[in-house]
Amino acid sequence: MTGQYLAFFIFALMAITGGVFMINLSRVIHMVLSIGLSFFGVAGLFIMLQAEFLAFVQVLIYAGAITIMMAMGTMMTQGGDEGEKPKRRLHNVLSFLSAVLVGAFLLYGIYTTSWPTEPTDLGANNIKEIGVTLFSNFVIPFELASILLLVALVGAIVLAKRDGEKD
Amino acid sequence: MLANAWLIPLFPLISFVLLVAFGRQLKEGAAYVGILSLLASFVVAVGVFFERFAEGAHDYITSFDWLNIGDFVFTMGFEVNQLNAMMLIVVTLVSLMVHLYSKGYMHGDERFPVFYSYLSLFTFSMLMLVISPNLLQAYIFWELVGASSFLLIGFYFFKPSARAAAKKAFLTTRVGDLGIFIGISLLFWQTGTFEYAAIFEAAHSGVLSPEFITLTSILIFIGAVGKSGQFPLHIWLPDAMEGPTPVSALIHAATMVAAGVYLVARLFPLFEASATAMLTVAIIGGVTAIFAASIGLVQNDIKRVLAYSTVSQLGYMMMALGSAGYVAGVFHLFTHAFFKALLFLAAGSVIHSVGTQDIKEMGGVGKHMPITKIVFLIGALAIAGVPGLAGFFSKEEILIATYDSGNVVLFWLALTAAVMTAFYMFRLYFLTFSGTPRHENHHVHESPIFMTLPMIILAVLAIFSGYVVYAGFGEWLAHGVISGEEGEGHHTWIMVLSIAAAFGGIGLAYLLYGRNNKVSTAEPKGLHKLLFNKYYVDEFYGTTVIKPYTLFGYVLKFFDKYVIGGLVQFTAWIAVAIGRLGQRLQNGQVQAYSLVTILGLVILLLSMTAGRLW
Amino acid sequence: MVPLGGYLAVGAILFSIGVYGLLTKKNGIIVLLSIELMLNAVNVNLVAFSRFGIAANITGQIFSVFTITVAAAEAAIGLAILVAIFRNKATINASEIDIMKR
Repeated sequence: MTGQYLAFFIFALMAITGGVFMINLSRVIHMVLSIGLSFFGVAGLFIMLQAEFLAFVQVLIYAGAITIMMAMGTMMTQGGDEGEKPKRRLHNVLSFLSAVLVGAFLLYGIYTTSWPTEPTDLGANNIKEIGVTLFSNFVIPFELASILLLVALVGAIVLAKRDGEKD
Repeated sequence: MLANAWLIPLFPLISFVLLVAFGRQLKEGAAYVGILSLLASFVVAVGVFFERFAEGAHDYITSFDWLNIGDFVFTMGFEVNQLNAMMLIVVTLVSLMVHLYSKGYMHGDERFPVFYSYLSLFTFSMLMLVISPNLLQAYIFWELVGASSFLLIGFYFFKPSARAAAKKAFLTTRVGDLGIFIGISLLFWQTGTFEYAAIFEAAHSGVLSPEFITLTSILIFIGAVGKSGQFPLHIWLPDAMEGPTPVSALIHAATMVAAGVYLVARLFPLFEASATAMLTVAIIGGVTAIFAASIGLVQNDIKRVLAYSTVSQLGYMMMALGSAGYVAGVFHLFTHAFFKALLFLAAGSVIHSVGTQDIKEMGGVGKHMPITKIVFLIGALAIAGVPGLAGFFSKEEILIATYDSGNVVLFWLALTAAVMTAFYMFRLYFLTFSGTPRHENHHVHESPIFMTLPMIILAVLAIFSGYVVYAGFGEWLAHGVISGEEGEGHHTWIMVLSIAAAFGGIGLAYLLYGRNNKVSTAEPKGLHKLLFNKYYVDEFYGTTVIKPYTLFGYVLKFFDKYVIGGLVQFTAWIAVAIGRLGQRLQNGQVQAYSLVTILGLVILLLSMTAGRLW
Repeated sequence: MVPLGGYLAVGAILFSIGVYGLLTKKNGIIVLLSIELMLNAVNVNLVAFSRFGIAANITGQIFSVFTITVAAAEAAIGLAILVAIFRNKATINASEIDIMKR
């Protein structure tokens, strides 16, 4: 049991520290890398929840693709302005307050609700089950998701293409 | 013909409408519209006059219901009696002459048609005032006359002095109008009617108390004082000479200023019922006569001398009316209209030609302008009261009337004013027409036919209009208005005195100005200075009335600007502040919008869980 | 076993961090990442419920798959938009992008 708790704490700590670093670091590229740490932590939590497939997807898409893509985006949008920005003190205070309040509400809710304690066993090899369900019960959303990805692909290309290029 | 008297004001109204609508296209052809309409009016007026003058004719009165308010019926209409039959002739004739004259005088003016439309408007309102059968209608047109007078005085609105004069005239006459308004309202309150006849009946049958009659008479007289430029409110009339000269001749000599006299004459039975009111009228008239004549002695502006002369002569008429000399006052109104219009037109002719109004810079004009010289001389002789001319007859009647009223002071005042009148008129004549020129203008020439013709016609009238006495004019005028006896026989010594006054004044003027024809350039001193500055009445009003009012105005302005304006600004500021707030919210930044959304969520959560927490 | 509440708490904390980042970070890329973080927090919840829920089954994980798909698409589009903005305005500073105001 202690081993599980330890793993949970390590992963949770990874996820939260990653997020906190993202907020607090000063250079953009460091922020991007720290959020990668957070994504890894979440992947670890997924493994602990017997969602190995999702954990891999998480690592591949988030920790891999999105983090790298954002890092590339950071490089592409470098330069420009790092000058003194107008301070938005009120904005920041209100943002902090609302974030804390939202978190407090959620935690309060979690704390006061009595959750079922017994975990359901989803099977050691639930990847197959995911595949079967996805292609039987959720086939239409699945296809819609693929269309969404295609549209996103086309849209991203159109948006990012230089204006002058006409072909 | 009497039933068609309503046509008389109609023609100028048509002319006014036409000129307002098509004046721009007509340009100087506008003169013909005005002249033709006035000619038509004049023809009808002459017809009406002769029919009314005929043996056994009666007053004609007709009216229709205009407004029904509760039980009161307000009527509009017209009436023809002796007094206004005469007035119709005077107004239409002088107006016609002025219309003719203006064609020459205003030639080349950019706003020629506008001038004619104003003249038509004025003539219309004056005629309507004259034929009104009730006080309400008279009051309406009384105000309209004032408004058109304002327009005409301020005709050269680009001159600051003309603007100021127009404002002064309007405001000063308003003071009087307030009196007449209160007077009419009081009469209506007591008698429930505006009709002249009904009011007279009420006055004489004892429905109205004597004090009330005195009060209302004096209030109405205040209106007449304002309109006719009588003593305390005379200040606007000399300034009104800023208007074009034909306007001065028409409005500020012959017709509008006579409206006050006319009103007093029209309401004579009412005034007659109160001895106090009569005495007030007589005293104000007498004071004005001598007061204005004395100022006229020393003025140097040709039109201003004539203006003070007008004020003085109007005072004469008031004095006659106040001394129960109804016929004398009205008769003088009749003759004065002709020779004063003539004098103004002749003065205008000189001004038009020489290009200045200052008699110090004139002199010797007569050589180049023989017609103008002769007609001016005729007018001057007439107003001085030289026997054989119109002024002699009416002036003598006034002197007799004042003497008969038993007020010796008034009689001597009138006689002194007569001497003064003769003096300043001939001072004017000698300085302007005889002697050697004191001006640089070598293009002095006789005026065109359009200007000389009206002057000649008026000159003929100035000579002969007095002879209507022999046609029974006085008895005819008095018929039905004056109940009592009239004409207690001739006082030959009064006639002699009046002739002596006329010739005395003329002789004095000749001694001082006719022989050596010099103008003293020294600063006026002593009494002369007092007269030259018009007894400082303007300055007196300036400090006692205008300054406090201006101060009060500043207070009000302050109040308006900072209290009322502050409230308005404050209201606007609140709206702006709310707008600013919304604007700050609407800053286009997606994060600000998200923050608001999430704050909203927090508030929602708070409100939903608050009940469970506590 | 680590109780369900623990996972949910981690999810809640991550979500709050995401909210704060979304609202305050100036760099557009970090704002996008904050959104990803929030989505991740949701995913944690979904997966946790898929194991501990009252009617726990595999559907929770499948839902997460879709979420990840949509999040990926969103990240791609978001980045493309940022690149386009950067090209036009030479900045991706969220506080300077206020063309919606006009």
